[in-house]
Amino acid sequence: MRSVSLAWAFFKVQAAHDLQYRANFVLQLINSAVALFTGLVAVSLVFQHTDTLAGWSRPELLIVMGTHIVLGGVIASLIEPNMRKLMEDVEQGDFDFVLVRPADPQLLVSIRNFRLWNLIDVVVGAVVVVSGFADLPVRGGAVRSVAFLAAAALGVVVMYCMWLILSTLTFRIVKGDEIIDLFQGVYQAGRWPVSIYPNWLRGSLTFVVPLAFAVTVPAETLSARIDPSFLVVGLGITAAVVAITRLIWRANLAKYSGASG
Amino acid sequence: MIGRYYLAQARQGLLHDLQYRTAAAFSLFGFLLEPVIYLAVWRSVAIARGGAVAGYSLDQLTAYYVVWSLVRAMNLALTPYTWEWRIQSGRLNDLLSRPIHPFHHDFAFFAGQKIVWITLWLPFAVVLWFTFRPSIEVTPLRVGAFAVAIWLAFTIRHMFQFLEGAVNFWTTRTSALFQLMVGVELLLSGRLVPLALMPGWVERLAGWLHFKWTFQYPIEALIGKLDDGAILTGLATQLLWIGVFAVAIRLVWGRAIRRYTAVGG
Amino acid sequence: MEPAPSVEVENLRRTFKVPVRSGGLRASLRALVHRQFRQVVAVKGATFRLEPGEVVGFLGPNGAGKTTTLKMLSGLLHPDSGRASVLGFEPKRRPRELLRRIGLVTGNRTSLAWDLPALDSYLMLRALYEIPKPDFENRRDRFIETLDLGELVTKPVRNLSLGERMKVELVGALLHAPAVLFLDEPTLGLDVSMQRRLRRFISDYNTEFGATVLLTSHYMADVEALCKRVMVIHRGRIHHDGELSGLVARFATHKTITVTGQLPESLEAYGQVAERTGDRVTLKVAPSEAGAVAARLLADLSITDLTIEDPPIEDVIVAVFTGAEEAT
Repeated sequence: MRSVSLAWAFFKVQAAHDLQYRANFVLQLINSAVALFTGLVAVSLVFQHTDTLAGWSRPELLIVMGTHIVLGGVIASLIEPNMRKLMEDVEQGDFDFVLVRPADPQLLVSIRNFRLWNLIDVVVGAVVVVSGFADLPVRGGAVRSVAFLAAAALGVVVMYCMWLILSTLTFRIVKGDEIIDLFQGVYQAGRWPVSIYPNWLRGSLTFVVPLAFAVTVPAETLSARIDPSFLVVGLGITAAVVAITRLIWRANLAKYSGASG
Repeated sequence: MIGRYYLAQARQGLLHDLQYRTAAAFSLFGFLLEPVIYLAVWRSVAIARGGAVAGYSLDQLTAYYVVWSLVRAMNLALTPYTWEWRIQSGRLNDLLSRPIHPFHHDFAFFAGQKIVWITLWLPFAVVLWFTFRPSIEVTPLRVGAFAVAIWLAFTIRHMFQFLEGAVNFWTTRTSALFQLMVGVELLLSGRLVPLALMPGWVERLAGWLHFKWTFQYPIEALIGKLDDGAILTGLATQLLWIGVFAVAIRLVWGRAIRRYTAVGG
Repeated sequence: MEPAPSVEVENLRRTFKVPVRSGGLRASLRALVHRQFRQVVAVKGATFRLEPGEVVGFLGPNGAGKTTTLKMLSGLLHPDSGRASVLGFEPKRRPRELLRRIGLVTGNRTSLAWDLPALDSYLMLRALYEIPKPDFENRRDRFIETLDLGELVTKPVRNLSLGERMKVELVGALLHAPAVLFLDEPTLGLDVSMQRRLRRFISDYNTEFGATVLLTSHYMADVEALCKRVMVIHRGRIHHDGELSGLVARFATHKTITVTGQLPESLEAYGQVAERTGDRVTLKVAPSEAGAVAARLLADLSITDLTIEDPPIEDVIVAVFTGAEEAT
C-alpha cells in the first residue's frame, strides 16, 4: 500500500538522520531515567503507606505506569512532532505546501516528522510492564500478552485521533503551544488508573482525552481485570473514532480552502 | 524609572494574555490537572488508612492540593530553555542593551500575566471546592501571610530558574540538567506530596534547600498546618532566600554576560 | 489542431471576510464581546490562458490579487465563481495526477524540513512524487551543480541564509520536473546577484523542460528578465495582458529624449524639461512626437549626443494603477 511505503520511506530518512546525533540519545536516556525515577518514587511512597490503591495492587499499578510510559514514548516519537509541525504550519502559512503535494494531506501531516530517540521510552516502559507482570499471579499469560499488545495498539490509534482533532483547532483560533501544554498536563493523569479520579474527571479521561482507553484498558487486559474479549468492543470504538476524526479533518480542510457549501 | 518599566512590562503581559485568553485558559487547565491527580491518589491512600496519612487528614490533604493549584499558577516562571533560543536568535542583545538588568524584563511580564491567571483559576477552584469540599480555618494572619508568601514564592522560583538559565552561556547541552532540576523540585518542594509524607531524611534535606519555600510553605501557611510563629519565620526565610539568590544572580550573570560579550554575541 | 492551453481561467472571482482589528486595551476588551468583519474582493472576474512553455509574469502592487489567483490555480483556494483549469484538471479538486505535475515556490518560505539537510528532504520528495531513481539522481546532481550548492545541501536548512534556502528550495521544487511551475514572489528579500542566479535557473529550466511558468512579483526586474508576456493586476482586475513592450506602448504617457550639447536657456519649445545638469538635458515629450522633436533638436542646435528612451517600466506601471484608480 502506498501509504505504508511512503511512511516507511519518511521514517527511514529521519531515523538515519537521528542516528547521527548520539548526544541526543544520551539526553533522552537521562530524561527517561529522571521520569522513571520520580514515577517509581511516587509508587513506592504510596505503598509505604498502604497495600492497595483503590483496589489496585503494586504490580498492577506498575503495569499501568509502564503502559503509560510506552504510550508516552510512541506519542513523543511519532505523534507529537507531527502535530506540532501541523500547528506551526497553519500558524505561519506553510500549510499550503502540504496541500500542493500529491498525497492525502492527513497522511502527509501525520508521517513527515519522526524522532527516533524517544522510542527509548517504549523500551523503558516495556521493562516496567514486564516487571509488574512477572509479579502477578495470573494464568493464560500468552493470550493476555497478545491482547495487551492489541489493546495498546488500538490505544495508540485513538490517541492519534484525539491529537489530530486537537491540532485542527489551530485552523480556527488557539495557539499551538498551549494545546500541547494542555495535553501534556492531561496526559499525566494516565499514570494512575482512571478509577481513582472523581467522576467528572473520569468522564473526561474516557471520552474527551481517551486515556482510559489508551492506558488503563490495556493495563487491565494484561492484569486480568478485563476479559480479552473486550477487544472486540475496543475495535468498534476505534473504528468509530477514526471515522469521526476523518470527518472533522476534512471539514476543517474545506474551511481552510474556503470551499463553499 | 524602574517602577515605570515594571508597569509597562506588566501591562504588556496582561494585554498579551488577554488577547490569547483561550490559549492561556487551555494552558492553565493543563497545569492544574496535576494537583487533581496527586489529590486523587493521596485521598485514596488516606481513605485506605482510615482517614489520615502522616498527620494529614483527608480535609487537610484536599485543602493542600486545592491551594496548591493557586500557588502553582502564581509560581509559574520563565523556563531556563528560553535563554538558549534568545542567545541563538540574537534577541539577547536587545535585552542587554536596555539600561536595566535583564531579570526585570521577564519578571515584570510574568507578574502582569498573573492577574489573568488568577482570574482564570477562580472557576477552577470553585469546581474543585465543590467536588471535594474541604474545610479549613482561616485567620487574618494566615490570609495576609499567604497573600505575601505567594508573591515571594514566585520571586524565589523565578530567580532560581533565572540562575538555571545562565547555564546556557557555558553549554548548549542543558536540557538534561533542567529535567533533573524539575525532578528534584517535584520531590523536594512539596509539589508531589507534602514533605511530611516523605521519608524523614528527605524532609530534612528539603529543609536546607529553597524548593519548599516556593510551594509547600505558602500552602501550609494558609491551611493551618503552621503555628503563627512558624508562619512569620517562614516569611523571613523566604526573604532570606531572595537575598541569597539576588547575590548569586549578580555574581553568576555578571560572569555570564562577560563571557557572552567576550565570545561575541 | 492546436495544443491545449496549460492554464485556462474564466471569470475567476474570490472574496474574503476580514476581521476589523484595532489596538489598545479598550478595543481588545470590546473585541472580546463583538467581532466585526468586512468584505474584500481579492479577484474580480479574471480571464486568461497560458500556452505550454510560456513564461508569464503577474505584476501588481501588494494586495492586488496575485497570490490569491495563484492559490486558486494551485488548488489551495476555492474560487467563489468562475472556472479554472490547469493541465486539463480542475485545481480545486486537487487530483493526484495534477499535483504530481505542478510545483509551487513561495518567496521567503521553505517547504523543506527545517532540521534536516536538504538532501534528506529531497529523498522524501522522491518518495512523495514517486520519481524513478535514475531521473531523480540525475536531476538532483545537475541542479546542485548548476546552482553551486555542494556543501549547502548537507547542512540543516535552518542554518542556511535566505538566499541559500531559496536555492535549495527551488531545486526541491523541480526534482519531479513539474510541467507547470507557480512562483510567488520567489526573489523576495534576496540580493541582486542571487536574484539573477535564480532567474537564470528558472529560465534554463523552462527552456529545457518546456514547463509553463507563472510568476508573480512586485519587482520589475524579475518580469523584465524572464517574461515575454505580462499581466498587470490591480485591485483584483487584470488591466493589461500582453507583451511587455505593448504595456509601454499602451500606457506610456511620454518618451524621454536626452540631449547633450550647446543648449539654450529655454527649451520649452521642444518639450517639458525633466532634468538639467550642465550641458545635458532630459526632456519629456508625447510618444507620437518624439521623432519630430528629435529631428528639430538636431537641426536647430549643436548636439553631441541624443537618445530617445521609453520611461522606466516602473513609471508605466504606476501610470497603469493611477489610471485604473481614476477609472474605478
